[in-house]
Amino acid sequence: MTSKKIVIVGSFGVGKTSLIRRFVDETFSEDYKVTIGVHILKKTVEIQENIVNLIIWDTEGTDDIEEIRKAYLLGTHGFIYVTDITRPKTYENLAAHKTYLNEQFGNVPIIAVGNKTDLLAKGSIAQMKEDMDFLDLLISAKEGNNVQRLFERMAKMLIA
Amino acid sequence: MINQDDKLDLLRTLLLTDDRQLAESISTKISILEETLREKDKLSEKISPIIREELEQYTLNMPKTLGPAITKTLKIQIQESKDEVVEALYPILGKMIKKYISNEIKMLSESIDKSTKEAFSSKGIKRKLMSIFSGVKENDMIISALAKAHVEQIFVIEKGSGILLGSYQTKETVDEDMISGMLTAIKAFVEDAFKETHHDLQSIEYDLYEIHLHSFHKYYIASAVSGTFTERLENELENFNFEISEDISKKSILHDRDALEALLLDRFKTYKFTEE
Ligand SMILES: Nc1nc2c(ncn2[C@@H]2O[C@H](COP(=O)(O)OP(=O)(O)O)[C@@H](O)[C@H]2O)c(=O)[nH]1
Ligand SMILES: [Mg+2]
Repeated sequence: MTSKKIVIVGSFGVGKTSLIRRFVDETFSEDYKVTIGVHILKKTVEIQENIVNLIIWDTEGTDDIEEIRKAYLLGTHGFIYVTDITRPKTYENLAAHKTYLNEQFGNVPIIAVGNKTDLLAKGSIAQMKEDMDFLDLLISAKEGNNVQRLFERMAKMLIA
Repeated sequence: MINQDDKLDLLRTLLLTDDRQLAESISTKISILEETLREKDKLSEKISPIIREELEQYTLNMPKTLGPAITKTLKIQIQESKDEVVEALYPILGKMIKKYISNEIKMLSESIDKSTKEAFSSKGIKRKLMSIFSGVKENDMIISALAKAHVEQIFVIEKGSGILLGSYQTKETVDEDMISGMLTAIKAFVEDAFKETHHDLQSIEYDLYEIHLHSFHKYYIASAVSGTFTERLENELENFNFEISEDISKKSILHDRDALEALLLDRFKTYKFTEE
């Protein structure tokens, strides 16, 4: 079994904590509690014959990625960059932030996701996917869509 | 008795996570943010930077105002000057320390309570008899029994990532991967906050343990010691760690978990820690 450190980044309120809770505990809550500092959880995923132990670090929401304590990001094996598809501000700096992460913390995989697809009108997801092609995956922490898939995709990239 | 989840929660508390109370001073603004988030109001975009700024100010000011009060380690003499220490440290690391200390005291007394409940066990009866005949108060005897130092667990943890490379433990414990990550985060937080002083964080008190941290180039060794942590034990631990680190580099087994754990087990069996 191999252990990998995954860090979830993204602006305030995009659903980082909800995403992890959905993945790890299979729960969702409408309550919004601000994450302060860092929160660590873990879950294993199985990819073919490999068991990958994901140690997931949940960070405080910041609009400016450089504000996250650098020491928390050291040694990260993969980043998940969460945005809220209903708030353009949360993805407008995506490209720059990806560059920053790769320059500072090594050339590790970054998966960018758009969260809260459950808020979209039925049938508009396909169009959304096209319009937001800079996002790797559209998810809903609330309903669980693509959440398992996201972490499996990450695990796969990490053992490749 | 404290269960495993509570222990993890305690460590989490140290990391200030999900702590609504911490944000008390800005709670009104946070609730405005909550509302606007719920209503999907564009306003949230305007409000969040303000809150962020306040939080930022809050963290920025912590090390500045009381940096010097933190000495070589975070070791806290709870019994000696509880209030003073709380007062002095409180603004630095905020509620995290305060909560931590009060938890510490709570758990110490819980543990004493538990020992008292053992009164009808043979150990308890023996202690009671000894207490009657020696005139030493029973609770004091319990405290001295608790105080016997014992190295319980050793973790070798990768710096930065906080990934557990190997461990040795005398008994089953809370999730080791999470402990490793959280210790690393605490270490990073404290060291970051006191950058100018160039001190590695050397120990953390947690539960009834003192966790001794010893940094090497790519990893650090964390040892959980129960009971009273003496200077002598600290020296012994450091020597022990140096021996382990020599072996690790000689055999280059840092990333070979089985070999590393075999080494820890073997070394631990042969090394004599003084237990006063
Ligand atoms: N509708 C909807 N709301 C979500 C979703 N994920 C999170 N939220 C809500 O968004 C708010 C912020 O979520 P949180 O996980 O705390 O965000 P964080 O600041 O990025 O950790 C909370 O009120 C959540 O209930 C989602 O997939 N759909
Ligand atoms: Mg959060």
